[in-house]
Amino acid sequence: MKPAVDIAERDLESLDALWSGGLGEAWEAYRDHHADGRVALAAALVETGVQLQGLGARTVPAGELLIGDLCLARASRLLADAGDTDLQVAFARAVERVAAQAAAKEPVSPIRELLHSALAR
Amino acid sequence: MITGRRLELATTRDTEFLDVTGRLQAEVEAAGLCNGRLFVQSLHTTLGLLVNENEPLLLGDFEALLEKVAPNGGVYLHDDFARRVEVPDDEPANGHAHCRQFFLSPALTLLVEDGRLLLGRWQSVFAVELDGPRQRALALQLDGDFAAPRARQEVVELELGRQLAVDPAAVQVPMRRLVEAGGKRVRPLLVTLGSRLGPTSDPLRTGTLAAAVELIHAATLVHDDYVDDSDTRRGKPTVAALEGPERAIAVGDYYFAKATRVIAELGDAAVTSTIAEAMEAICRAQMDDVALRGSYPGDHASYLQVVRGKTAALMAAACVAGAQLAGAQPELVDRLRRYGELLGTAFQMADDVVDYSEASGKPAGQDIRQRTLSLPLIYAHEDHEVGPQIRELLRGELGDADVRRVAELVKASGALERVGEEARGLVRAAVRELEGVELNGAGAGFSELAHAAVDRVS
Repeated sequence: MKPAVDIAERDLESLDALWSGGLGEAWEAYRDHHADGRVALAAALVETGVQLQGLGARTVPAGELLIGDLCLARASRLLADAGDTDLQVAFARAVERVAAQAAAKEPVSPIRELLHSALAR
Repeated sequence: MITGRRLELATTRDTEFLDVTGRLQAEVEAAGLCNGRLFVQSLHTTLGLLVNENEPLLLGDFEALLEKVAPNGGVYLHDDFARRVEVPDDEPANGHAHCRQFFLSPALTLLVEDGRLLLGRWQSVFAVELDGPRQRALALQLDGDFAAPRARQEVVELELGRQLAVDPAAVQVPMRRLVEAGGKRVRPLLVTLGSRLGPTSDPLRTGTLAAAVELIHAATLVHDDYVDDSDTRRGKPTVAALEGPERAIAVGDYYFAKATRVIAELGDAAVTSTIAEAMEAICRAQMDDVALRGSYPGDHASYLQVVRGKTAALMAAACVAGAQLAGAQPELVDRLRRYGELLGTAFQMADDVVDYSEASGKPAGQDIRQRTLSLPLIYAHEDHEVGPQIRELLRGELGDADVRRVAELVKASGALERVGEEARGLVRAAVRELEGVELNGAGAGFSELAHAAVDRVS
């Protein structure tokens, strides 16, 4: 069950099912680091997207890849809506880092730590 | 190629020799005319054109000459309003000005060599105001060989190379292989054309945006190929086929993120939002596309729903973002969005038709084999004559012979011609969206790109 505040229906469209599967918990965790619920949701979506796509860990079915793509794209749009360019750049750098590590078959940095660092800037 | 534009002038005196040589040269450079002709035409009956020396005393001589042959305050039949019919209330007594223009030219042709107006050492081009002060306009047409579109594309290619060069090898190598394998670069071109419609167009920032948009497109292809289980793209092995699905996912993610960052770093919130919304539309459409494969081959409405997201969204965003980055007016941006949506839909329809061509460069019948939404197949599937056979074939596993047979039936049904005509209709509508507005010389580019999108074999 998603909270009634901060998050618009549009922000979870097609991704509702993820809320009880970890997205909600991640959102709560990021709320402690940023007051804007949309920014917290963006962080939670990035984390969920990266995990769904199994970056550096496993090969995932096409369906999960696409849902992961939508999570990352939605996060980007939320940050654009929030008008926070610095955060958008920092979040993108976090994804670039874990994706490059996964592509090189290196250990992948914990995405939550990277995003917390980005939120703390 | 011919391109047209307008040069706005504000005159300040009754009779005035306005040297427009520098502005004409700037227009030649902005349009990128390398060798050819610049046609200049006055759009007024009391504004003439002249090529001569810009020497103040000489200009005084000219003014005196004009005063002598057609003195201001003289008697002119044109000024006898009682004898004229349908005289506007604000009609000035300016018979002298009309008579003076008799001695000047209403139009000029100037040669252009190596990007420069071909003028003698002492020659300057004047717009000669004869009844000022007024707001005036000159119509310009440039005809010949244009180097700038190529130059602008070179900026995009250089920027793509520059952006890739700094990336880790694990992502750079596969992406470079895809980018260097070709591609039509339609989206960067749309960014570049869009950028010409605003007052603050900056070639380098435009090149950065155009390259980033192309990287987004390339990233979607990397993930698409994994989802569709495709072995080849642009005649080369796909990232997933050559390097495995894990790397394909990582490469796609890396370049989605990098492109987003590069665009955010441009510091234009409207551009960032435009691209972010397009990326979201693409992802939603990818999911719809996969979901609709259960009801393959689908229908016209579901086809349009997917195509608007998968193809048209990024093309529209490319036009819009280019214009936004250059500070274009909102009304123009809206028109560009509609142009891009129509063009993108037509482009995908043409792509569907190309899939049936031997010259496509793709394995024959790839869309049928992969059960990809395709409008020719939808139309043939609905056809009374061939539809039942197609439905029967699609019911089972599709071997090579089955794919060939389906392709033959689609061709025999006339569906390819029907889709081609529908795509051309969309292109005509796209071009109409941009009619009647000032496009700063980019009109021909938009029109040519739209027509080229559907008149192609690969």
